[in-house]
Amino acid sequence: MSRILVAEDDPHILRLIAMWLKRNGHDVVEARNGNGARDLVVAETFDVLVTDINMPGLDGIQLIEAVVSTGHIHRGIVVLTNRWDHGEIRERLSQWDVRVIPKPFSPSRLSEVVDKLTAVDTSEAPHEGFVPDQSSLS
Amino acid sequence: MKPTSAVVTDEALLQNLLGDISLPGNGTPLSVGVLATLGNPQPPAHCMRTCLNSRADAIESHGCPFLVAAAEGRVDDGCLKDGHCPRGYQAAARQIALGDKHAVVVTVGAPTHVDTVAHLFERVTQLLEENTGFAEEMIQNYEQLNLIFDLIPQIAELSDTRAIERLLLQKVRHLLRATSLCVHDSRGGWSWLDEYGEAGAPPPGLSAQQLELVASTVRNTSHIQVATQSEYELLAGALVHLDNAVNVVIALRPSRNGAFTAGDMMLTDSVLAFGGQLIRNNELHERLHALSFQITRALVAAIDKKDHYTSGHSERVGFLTRLIAQEFGLSAAELQITEWAGLLHDIGKIGIPETILCKPGKLTKEEFDVIKKHPRMGYDILKPIASFELVLDGVLYHHENPDGSGYPKGLHGDQIPLVARIIHVADTFDALTSTRSYREAFSYERAYEIIRQDMGKRMDREAAEAFFRAFGKFQENEPEKFERLFLQHREQTDDPA
Repeated sequence: MSRILVAEDDPHILRLIAMWLKRNGHDVVEARNGNGARDLVVAETFDVLVTDINMPGLDGIQLIEAVVSTGHIHRGIVVLTNRWDHGEIRERLSQWDVRVIPKPFSPSRLSEVVDKLTAVDTSEAPHEGFVPDQSSLS
Repeated sequence: MKPTSAVVTDEALLQNLLGDISLPGNGTPLSVGVLATLGNPQPPAHCMRTCLNSRADAIESHGCPFLVAAAEGRVDDGCLKDGHCPRGYQAAARQIALGDKHAVVVTVGAPTHVDTVAHLFERVTQLLEENTGFAEEMIQNYEQLNLIFDLIPQIAELSDTRAIERLLLQKVRHLLRATSLCVHDSRGGWSWLDEYGEAGAPPPGLSAQQLELVASTVRNTSHIQVATQSEYELLAGALVHLDNAVNVVIALRPSRNGAFTAGDMMLTDSVLAFGGQLIRNNELHERLHALSFQITRALVAAIDKKDHYTSGHSERVGFLTRLIAQEFGLSAAELQITEWAGLLHDIGKIGIPETILCKPGKLTKEEFDVIKKHPRMGYDILKPIASFELVLDGVLYHHENPDGSGYPKGLHGDQIPLVARIIHVADTFDALTSTRSYREAFSYERAYEIIRQDMGKRMDREAAEAFFRAFGKFQENEPEKFERLFLQHREQTDDPA
């Protein structure tokens, strides 16, 4: 079971994502905004962060900026973004190795991406741009 | 104040709703926490850390150790779980440990509160279930929406109906995680695709008769069907082409991978319905395109019937026009229009009396004035055909000269549309190298020379130079086509020059 942090300000979408990921066998922690998500990452560790881009307070990009250096996200980051500014957001995210999924997101695609990130095989090198927490990779 | 009841649930909504409620009577707050780790050897403190923040300490002292004790069978007093588990706390806690997502209501020493909490709990659980139902539906809608969003740009790049159908089938196969897929087309033929989207064979052990049955049911009802057949799950739907020609699509996957769900059926239904619409649009478009071709051919045949001398002339000018136009970097659609204009440039000759058109020897000035009406007549003939709008320029102006000496308007240089300048060169070259009622054909060298001398006067320089380049390449690269189109019609012609 992987620990997934989901940051999304729309409670319905948050619930939807959480429900879907739980059903696919993940342990899900929900955060209703970027600040809450950042606090959780600072205090705990997660396998995957799934985050929205447009959120009040810390937005998705600022959240990624804030959490990447903690090394508390072990496997990867998935970004959900509005389909219409998909290209622009992709550009802004290009400095990190993140997976981008356009919204309205395809649930099956989301679980496919998350499953791939959390697959047991760790032989693959850690994603560029991450500072992996060595203790958790053992 | 110490809480006397604890509600332990992993449902965020329940936590939010119950977390703010105070029990009647003594105003004792409810403690609400998450029990995600009961079956986990972690100490209760870890479980408490994920409790609602504000009440974490209250839970720590009352809630979780209590549940752990219950799970271990050390507690069995006044507690309940939602209706499924009236026997108490212990069983409820075990349920949670086994992964039941529903909540446990724990009362600590205040049995009068049990009813209130149980009532609230029941209500909230009900709402949650409804909510979950909506969420499930939304997940399916999202999946559908996404698929369609993805399909639109991919299909927009395709203009061939078969390619569109292939893409749709691949999507359906991927969507359903089908190991193979077959299509029963409207003429009764079967084709199979394997899991890589390549042509495949039916998996062994399937009864052709039963597949036919499924296909005919879908054909008759236009509804999605599911069936099970010798260790395979089948999902069949209709992809409707123009004229109600139905292709039945059947996806198969081994039964051990699970039966198809209502969600699978809905998704397939919407992809096939949407895809069918696109396919029918595309087929209509193809038909219109074919119609334009056929009309052009019919009109060209009409010119040839009228004037035997120009037989083959329209076709060659159409061909040369496209050849030259390619040198100008036009789009495929522009090239098509240009070719049509070349084919139809002399359509106005239908309106010229044969006595003048086929007269051997020189024409009088009056007769030539009649001949000069053919561009305008051609324009009038084609004008009602809306999709030929761009052809009109070529037909009307193909006898205009850059020096202003042409007809019907005496336009100069750039005033003459490019398509007309191109046709003028092509037309002149073919006329010079063909036998006419009043003279024999010129040799190619002589024709080149005449055109070259006329450049900037009666011939557009740019179009003429493009013609020399393009025609040279053509003779070199496609000698057989050159022979068939150009040399055979000159076979009996001796060079008079």
